[in-house]
Amino acid sequence: MNLQTLSLHHSINLPSPNLNNSNRLGFDWPLRTVRHKGFKVCSVMSRDTQTQIQTQTQTQTRKTDVLQLIDETEESLFRTGKFGRFGGIFVPETLVTCLKVLLSEFNLCMHDPHFQGELSTALRDYVGRETPLYFAERLTDHYKNGRGEGPDIYLKREDLSHGGAHKINNALAQAMLAKRMGRRSVVAATGAGQHGVATAAACAKLAMECTIIMGHLDMERQSSNVLLMKNFGAEVKSVRGTFKDAASEAIREWVGDLERKYYLAGTAVGPHPCPAMVREFQSIIGKETRRQAVEKWGGEPDVLVACVGSGSNALGMFHEFVRDKDIRLIGVEAAGTGIDGETHSATLAKGEIGVYHGAMTLLLQDHEGQILGPRSVGVGLEYPGVSPELSFLREIGRAEFHTATDEEALDAYALLCRLEGICPALEAAHALAHLGKLCPTLPDGAKVVVNCSGRGDKDIETVFKYQQLKSAQVSDGNNHPKPLQM
Amino acid sequence: MAFAASSSSAATARYSAQSDLAFRIPSNPPKFAPYISGHTPPISCKMAATAVDKELNAEALQRPDAFGRFGRFGGKYVPETLMAALTELEAAFNSLATDHEFQSGVGLVFVSRKELDGILKDYVGRDSPLYFAERLTEHYKRHDGTGPHVYLKREDLNHTGAHKINNAVAQALLAKRLGKKRIIAETGAGQHGVATATVCARFGLECIIYMGAQDMERQALNVFRMRLLGAEVRAVHSGTATLKDATSEAIRDWVTNVETTHYILGSVAGPHPYPMMVREFHKVIGQETRKQALEKWGGKPDVIVACIGGGSNAMGIFHEFVEDEDVRLIGVEAAGFGLDSGKHAATLTKGEIGVLHGAMSYLLQDEDGQIIEPHSISAGLDYPGVGPEHSFLKDLGRAEYHSITDEEALEAFKRLSRLEGIIPALETSHALAYLEKLCPTLPDGTKVVLNCSGRGDKDVNTAINYLKL
Repeated sequence: MNLQTLSLHHSINLPSPNLNNSNRLGFDWPLRTVRHKGFKVCSVMSRDTQTQIQTQTQTQTRKTDVLQLIDETEESLFRTGKFGRFGGIFVPETLVTCLKVLLSEFNLCMHDPHFQGELSTALRDYVGRETPLYFAERLTDHYKNGRGEGPDIYLKREDLSHGGAHKINNALAQAMLAKRMGRRSVVAATGAGQHGVATAAACAKLAMECTIIMGHLDMERQSSNVLLMKNFGAEVKSVRGTFKDAASEAIREWVGDLERKYYLAGTAVGPHPCPAMVREFQSIIGKETRRQAVEKWGGEPDVLVACVGSGSNALGMFHEFVRDKDIRLIGVEAAGTGIDGETHSATLAKGEIGVYHGAMTLLLQDHEGQILGPRSVGVGLEYPGVSPELSFLREIGRAEFHTATDEEALDAYALLCRLEGICPALEAAHALAHLGKLCPTLPDGAKVVVNCSGRGDKDIETVFKYQQLKSAQVSDGNNHPKPLQM
Repeated sequence: MAFAASSSSAATARYSAQSDLAFRIPSNPPKFAPYISGHTPPISCKMAATAVDKELNAEALQRPDAFGRFGRFGGKYVPETLMAALTELEAAFNSLATDHEFQSGVGLVFVSRKELDGILKDYVGRDSPLYFAERLTEHYKRHDGTGPHVYLKREDLNHTGAHKINNAVAQALLAKRLGKKRIIAETGAGQHGVATATVCARFGLECIIYMGAQDMERQALNVFRMRLLGAEVRAVHSGTATLKDATSEAIRDWVTNVETTHYILGSVAGPHPYPMMVREFHKVIGQETRKQALEKWGGKPDVIVACIGGGSNAMGIFHEFVEDEDVRLIGVEAAGFGLDSGKHAATLTKGEIGVLHGAMSYLLQDEDGQIIEPHSISAGLDYPGVGPEHSFLKDLGRAEYHSITDEEALEAFKRLSRLEGIIPALETSHALAYLEKLCPTLPDGTKVVLNCSGRGDKDVNTAINYLKL
């Protein structure tokens, strides 16, 4: 029984489109059927004549409207799990109760000072928070124009967290929640392996059993992470395919043993309350950034940049600032070998609305509703869907989304190594790659904060092969072997 | 110009550790027979026993003294060409150490203490936490529920994953202060090389790393990493093509290019002022520990444990507490295949006094004074010498030194991973392994602080072969 097919049973139970906001949003709500593996997944929205008229006369959503939308969403989030028309709880009945229990437990722990105290201590002593907000002087100079003007670039050093990525913030908090709920074992799915590693580490610390499910293709590409997980004592199970298949399998395992098991979502996708929960636990990134920005330059950031796979690190940074309408929020997705081709993972750029893994969101699908397999050199960015909250922020125009190709990311990796002595994860390198296009457009002294969401030790082999390939190509071209261009 | 040990057994009489330092009087003093025609009464000589009468404690001694000596260890056994550079280095270091604000200097670049502190905070990620290892503590509880409390000083969370960066960053700043644009260093497995290349990238300095050709083969990815960071990695083919040969080559380079070049030594070994300097740059570890211990349990650590290769991470955490007599200091070296196997790196247990790389210290040498090739599963502990200050603390009896085999270290590696979700470096695992022997002897509630000097991602591949994961 996989999740997608179950949605079929619930097409009748779909929450009706929230028309209250439609006047303001004025978006086109097309009729669409999404198909996966031969089953018809629910049709999403109904067209309303009223909204059609609104579309034609629609003017730009004003910034105050955006704030209102955000506030309203926040207020109803707990109850509905919706971010505008995205999000929701598209799951079989068996899971609905479970999710409701999870939601109330999550709510309780958020208000429990004892839990919060323990979490704080663990984040400080185990994870190593706060992570610094680092002024990247040489990178800043690199992007200065001929007149010596340019933005000031800061890196939020999530690469210094225990485990080497921001994933641990969420994994640790949820593992603690699971323990508090009396669950004995944790099951999780991982793509690049970072979430798997973080979950395995947290479970080792909390003496919980841990099963990590990984696609066989991913296991090959990120074998070093597999070793790390096993070293922590986790059981690593392989499924055919990649992350999307692993996620389905993990949920299946969870459904099989709802009393004992806890499904640890690694990122802000899935049915409510997963996206909200993950975002809350990651929001410490943004909270620290605000405080550190005040310490450092007595103000706020002007632009925030983060890479987007499913969206957890981006939301972790953005959430704190979503109501500060003067702060630009920029997400950078993976364009793989090129956005117009087949091999990329740019969901927000090229995706269309549908239901996936329990939530309504944008996702990469073909005209028949088949899920398109995403590809990127930043394995952690490979997800055909994206967080419903990010879909929402894009739709209301609060956040902007761009892409970076494999090559741009690999070059950005090498650039940061050379200029700052920091090797970023290839995922984070996508965000850094965007600086090349962004910086020339910014006024002198604008404060840019890039979320350096992970360290790149795991990617060194990939970069090595890429550099070899590049130098081979260069030498072939001219018949003169050139030194490695770095 | 390798500074090989020159030892004659007579001169290196083994001195046992005593609380009063003094030079122990040899039991058979040499006899002198002066030439007096027709009349040769034997005269026996006795070295003055009164040189140090009073109860000696660490406080009364300078560590090091003006000549760079820690008792009889340390010093500056270098060719003349390097003496000026070392003196200049010492002067620059002293001015940086006392400097809290910008100071002007003719022809020198402005570098301040404040800048160093900023880098340590924002770039390296300090303070590193003092983490209560709950499950490890549980593991060491006895049947009656009593046992020590184990804390880990999380140097593994630093940028580049080890304590090495503390020293690398400070020395790079020092080089800038001296107006030197060229940095050289030696490396074994690559950790120190990567740390050096990292800071050179950060500060825009030219970087040359010397690495044994054999090591380069075994650590190809680290070599690539250093090159990606902008460093030039030079292979050393002489000798056994490993760390000690790379060190000698680096020293040779320095002698040749001393005007323009600063040599970033990775540990508390080498000629004065390096042992003192590297210790000073790492002492932040101990200082933070004191502060954090006070915050956490309102007291001091009772026992401090650290692994010893060259000795920098240990000195970094020990130094703050050397004068607190009630704090036990324990260093753990690599016993490799076992102390009797001849394949180990337990310098302080099995070594003898001699001079290596510019300093007098204990070192692993054979009867001819040739350096014995050490062995340890962990590259960072694979050094035939040890910092002179450790030799000094050992002889003083202030610190105790033990050793742990490869196998015990691997067990500890697995144990910490499974119990705390922290993967320690194999070097650190030696210190962790010693807890197995130490904790049963400690009374209930004893506060043990272990310096978790590095993370073990780099060692997982080595470990799986043994641990059959």
